[in-house]
Amino acid sequence: MATPENVTMEVEATPEQKLAESHLARNVKFLERGIATAEVHYTHRALRTIFSLRKRLQPDVLAESIAAHVSKSNSQVVADCLHRAAESLGQPRAAGTATKACEPEVCLFLCLLVQLYHLDHNEHERGAQLSDVFVEAALDLQRRTLDPIVSRIIFYCSRFFEVTGRLADARPMLLRALQTATLTNMKETKAMVLTLLLRNYLNYKLYDQAERLAARSSFPTDAPNNLLARYLYYMGRIEAVQLNYSQAQVHLLEATRKAPSTPATAGFQQTVHKIYVIVELLMGNIPERSLFRTPVLKKPLQPYFELAQAVRVGDLSQFQDVVSRYQDQFLKDQVLILVQRLRHNVIKAGIRSISVAYSRISLRDICLKLHLDSEEDAEYIVAKAIRDGVIDATIDHEKGFVKSAEVHNVYGTSDPQHAFDKRITFCLGLYNESVKSMRYPGGDHRKELAYADEAIKRERELAQEIENEEYDSDSDAMDDATDEDL
Amino acid sequence: MTGVPSAQELSGLYDRTRAELDSPKPNHNAVKTQLSQLKIALHNAQVELDPRFQLTKRSILEMGAEFSIKTGDIAAFERYIAQLEVFYYDHKHGLADSKVMYPLVGLNLLRLLSENLIADFHTTLERIDLAQLQSNPYIVHPVKLEQALMEGSYKKVWQARAEVPTPEYLFFMDILMATIRNEVASCAEKSYSSLPFDDAKSVLFFTSMDELLRFAQERRWAVSPSEKRITFPSTAENTRMFQGETIMKQTLAYARELERIV
Repeated sequence: MATPENVTMEVEATPEQKLAESHLARNVKFLERGIATAEVHYTHRALRTIFSLRKRLQPDVLAESIAAHVSKSNSQVVADCLHRAAESLGQPRAAGTATKACEPEVCLFLCLLVQLYHLDHNEHERGAQLSDVFVEAALDLQRRTLDPIVSRIIFYCSRFFEVTGRLADARPMLLRALQTATLTNMKETKAMVLTLLLRNYLNYKLYDQAERLAARSSFPTDAPNNLLARYLYYMGRIEAVQLNYSQAQVHLLEATRKAPSTPATAGFQQTVHKIYVIVELLMGNIPERSLFRTPVLKKPLQPYFELAQAVRVGDLSQFQDVVSRYQDQFLKDQVLILVQRLRHNVIKAGIRSISVAYSRISLRDICLKLHLDSEEDAEYIVAKAIRDGVIDATIDHEKGFVKSAEVHNVYGTSDPQHAFDKRITFCLGLYNESVKSMRYPGGDHRKELAYADEAIKRERELAQEIENEEYDSDSDAMDDATDEDL
Repeated sequence: MTGVPSAQELSGLYDRTRAELDSPKPNHNAVKTQLSQLKIALHNAQVELDPRFQLTKRSILEMGAEFSIKTGDIAAFERYIAQLEVFYYDHKHGLADSKVMYPLVGLNLLRLLSENLIADFHTTLERIDLAQLQSNPYIVHPVKLEQALMEGSYKKVWQARAEVPTPEYLFFMDILMATIRNEVASCAEKSYSSLPFDDAKSVLFFTSMDELLRFAQERRWAVSPSEKRITFPSTAENTRMFQGETIMKQTLAYARELERIV
């Protein structure tokens, strides 16, 4: 695809460069078409090719395109950006003769490519400075068609800050971006900025602020799935720390479902599953064993598997052993404090299994079995367990033993009814959702409607005729007429 | 009513208040007025922006926190700690670590525990350096306490009274004891059918029989002085009853959903 830009090239272009140029030119065409028709999927097509383009980026090719576009860009700010981008590439400025006016979308797209180039070549400082400028310019422009490009520019900007260790400095920029995105209704940017802000707060362990941000802002519901998955994961982590385990479990499960199950997302799946296992254990449910056997998760989740085993058995010494052995791993995953909370669950499981196994057991034996410190401790712990509904028993203080209540026939209570009720409501909800999301092939139903219309017309005519015949043929055919009426 | 102290007078006033507080029998009212003056002085425009006063500012806030503990003003303590968090976590302002930082942080943790704000307790815990969590005695004490509370080993909590790192901890420990006494009482109601007086006294951490009897009256336990036993009211087994209303509601919901045209 020969383009006007090639005209200015003086150096012999290698096939690589030619390919890169042609890709660039094609993307530019896509973007322009997108703006012309105000359709967002052209922009998405252009953006999707970035992955293949990334490997082939040569500084001189980029500089060429930038030079070609810079002279005729509409806004001064964007031209400024492109100047700095070209300088950063360290290429001599080629005299470009642009043949058409340059849209901000195209300019920002080129800026994005420059960012990627710096990221790939580990020039983080320069990238961070540039990104700051780009984001300022992008936010000033406030055009909704810029939405996908701006969201990616902000992502890479935040990434630069993170890599250079200055993540806290990114916060003012992100907050400003959030304000602009909300005001101009740029959904993808808003979703991206919210996710990045949460990541920022969690990095510095500011759970309070993160929770307040999440509570006050509304995450756009039609955000792309990968952003939604990330957002749900961060929400799950915040809620796990704040002891809101049921909500955390819901969010984390959704996050695993929304994330695509390609090999590229393996890291994300592993991280989410780690927290998910811990939250399940804290809620008192043991996660399924098959979860630990999926090939992607098998090795990274090995410490968590052993943890789940210790919690299930209820053995405190085994639990301590696992924790001390894998302490570094838990520290790296930032779950060490959550793991410490599991101690209580271990004891609960232990008490439950003892109470089911024995009808009567002395407090001393409980103390020995659970490796508790003293009999009085055991007594208090058992009393609390009874109060919390973990076991059904009574303590005889003078004689010093715990007596389990008889196992009632569970079908005599209303528990099965409640369990059934939950399942029934779920199935009914599922049915409603499926009916709502049914899709009918495009034009067919209109044809059917036409058929239906015709059929109804024909029937009516037929009925009319029959009625007329009745009235004509016989004057006292009242019985038949009444049959027709019915 | 003296005017707003200027920046120069600030350090002088601070030194005087400090001396007053450190003296063997501090005059609380005097200290209180001096502290409010200091607080007003802190808002003096010169002082706010001048980086040299950061150390003084932090020391004043810490002094305020200590003083509010001594007088038992929990709300004031909460306010001072909130202001001190800026100094402790966000910007250290190039100051060396304060000596009273960890005792105060530990006290705040204990306060959150005693007010049963477990979620805030955990979020505050996350912000503390991990190394300190495991080694610093001021922090380890509330952490162990929280674990013991979660498990239900209230005896450990009672014994922890003796191991407080600083006497200020005792203030919150007493509040905590009142909270867990209620906990233990509700546990006891469910687990025991009846208890003799002496055992009830030790179980509930009471020191005298009168306190026990008063407490039993508040919770409406049946006290029988002749046998010297307390009998706990048994929870009626009403879960076995046929719950007509729930079943009606559920069945009607099913019928409605099945007939619904989505």
